[in-house]
Amino acid sequence: MTPLATAARYARLTWHLSAVSVHRLTEYRMDFLLGAGGLLLRVICQIAVIDMVFRQVPRIAGWHYHEVLFLLGFSLLPRGLDRMFTDQLWILARKLVQNGEFFRYLIRPVHPLFSLLSERFLYPDGVGELLTGAALTWYAAEHLDLSLSAAQWLLAPLLVLCGTLILAALKTLFASLAFWTTSSFPALYAANQLGDFSGYPLDLYHPSLRWLLTWLLPYAFTAYVPASYLLHGHTAMLPWLFVVTAGLVMLALVVWHRGVDRYEMTGS
Amino acid sequence: MIVAENLVKEFRVPERKPGLLGSLSTLFSREYRLVRAVSGVSFEIPAGVKAAYIGANGAGKSTTVKMLTGIMSPTSGRALVAGLEPYRERRRNAANIGVVFGQRSQLWWDLPVPDSFRILRRIHDIPDAVYRRNMALFRDLLDLDALGNTPVRQLSLGQRMRAEVAASLVHDPKVVFLDEPTVGLDLMLKEAVRRLVNHVNAELGTTVLLTSHDMGDITAICDRVLVVNHGEVVHRGTMHELLRTADTRAVVFEQQGERDHAIDLIEKGLDGASAQPLDGGRIKVEYPVARWTARQVMSFLLDHFEVTDCVAPEPDLEMVLRRIYAGQVVT
Repeated sequence: MTPLATAARYARLTWHLSAVSVHRLTEYRMDFLLGAGGLLLRVICQIAVIDMVFRQVPRIAGWHYHEVLFLLGFSLLPRGLDRMFTDQLWILARKLVQNGEFFRYLIRPVHPLFSLLSERFLYPDGVGELLTGAALTWYAAEHLDLSLSAAQWLLAPLLVLCGTLILAALKTLFASLAFWTTSSFPALYAANQLGDFSGYPLDLYHPSLRWLLTWLLPYAFTAYVPASYLLHGHTAMLPWLFVVTAGLVMLALVVWHRGVDRYEMTGS
Repeated sequence: MIVAENLVKEFRVPERKPGLLGSLSTLFSREYRLVRAVSGVSFEIPAGVKAAYIGANGAGKSTTVKMLTGIMSPTSGRALVAGLEPYRERRRNAANIGVVFGQRSQLWWDLPVPDSFRILRRIHDIPDAVYRRNMALFRDLLDLDALGNTPVRQLSLGQRMRAEVAASLVHDPKVVFLDEPTVGLDLMLKEAVRRLVNHVNAELGTTVLLTSHDMGDITAICDRVLVVNHGEVVHRGTMHELLRTADTRAVVFEQQGERDHAIDLIEKGLDGASAQPLDGGRIKVEYPVARWTARQVMSFLLDHFEVTDCVAPEPDLEMVLRRIYAGQVVT
């Protein structure tokens, strides 16, 4: 198959599998409401903290109130998209290697990573996160009277996509460690927790943390860098965004493949 | 259709040392022990054959099946399934094969069974006609509709197994690997699964490799047998040949006369044979194959008793296997 035909096939499969997954939204309505409710509560708390801070000072590290809200909202877009399509990686990290069930992704005629992810396409929590993020971004943009240039409009979806890929790659990387350690849940959890920092201006943090979030676990490129570009027109880091995305995705795939190759199905 | 050439699989198992100091030391330097699960297995299964892969626990059956399905790579040696090396070309191989691991699920855990089939149809690109034909077959034989819209994770083992077997056959695979496919099924459903596998084999020429602890599965499905012990094939041939390796066989008959006397007469007349009463007035005569033929035993019985019924049942597979595992017979 040509690469184009392969891509078309996977796009078609994603569409069909997502359609089937919509069942889950109705099947597990309570889960969905709980997940969405919990998420909303978290975002409200984050906004409350921001509110409180801005009652004391007009600007933080050069960021206005609505700019910070925009950043927070924007950070939820890649996070929501990532969660909508890669939530099964949590299960991989937690138990799929341990209990031997990973085998089933190796006996389907599709890429094992796709096969794995497809079991939780359109994960409800992710849908909620994406919608909340979109609403918050839109609300903040309205208040900022934000007007994007043509280039910014063009790049914005690409930036969200790159952010999603970075998050998915980080998750794949840490979840794949399970192939060596049978369970990598604590590592994945810790890495994911650090991602919460990405919803605030990086200028707030100590340079070492900023460096960590930019170059080691590059969450900065999922929200701070694109938001700085859209709000303030900062382009210095943009080329790096694409380099980091490509590099990280490749690294994650290499580690994934190494892991799959050494997979030994336990038990009978 | 299935070829194994000197398949070897070794696992590295970390050695644990006793005591607290011991477990601390394993944190820094690990010592491994090599465990040879499969040692140089070779066999060939032609297309359309239904083969049983039999062996005691730990004989390396599952490990071999995992290499043949592409889940694991062999340490050395080579496997070919429908002309492909499964662990090198997993995706292309996956299109050719169907797999059931009785202890594990391959269905979509939190979706109802019909959704799993909708997905399988897409990822295997199953033509409409094939999909409809197979789903009708599964509905008929396995009563799949009865599973309704319950998510797979809430199904009982028996309900799930029906769906697992159907899922392994829905795309008309060239080869189907069945590892304990009737685990948790009642007699009726076991029958149904066996009938389905035989039907698919007869209609489509599907090659079957079955591993099971259920002798009923093996005798009802398989025409060829490979027996593995300690990671090596110790017997290969047809089911008939395997059963012929039995060193004792039996004749069961029914007669009019007095039983104790009859038993006495048989054990005296047929050197090395033993006789025991069964229920319903029947008598089972076990005789060493090396000394007597079934024909000789039967004519002896006909000469001495008023025989009203007489059968020579197939040797007991379990007994034959026990002898092979014990290393008494290597063929």
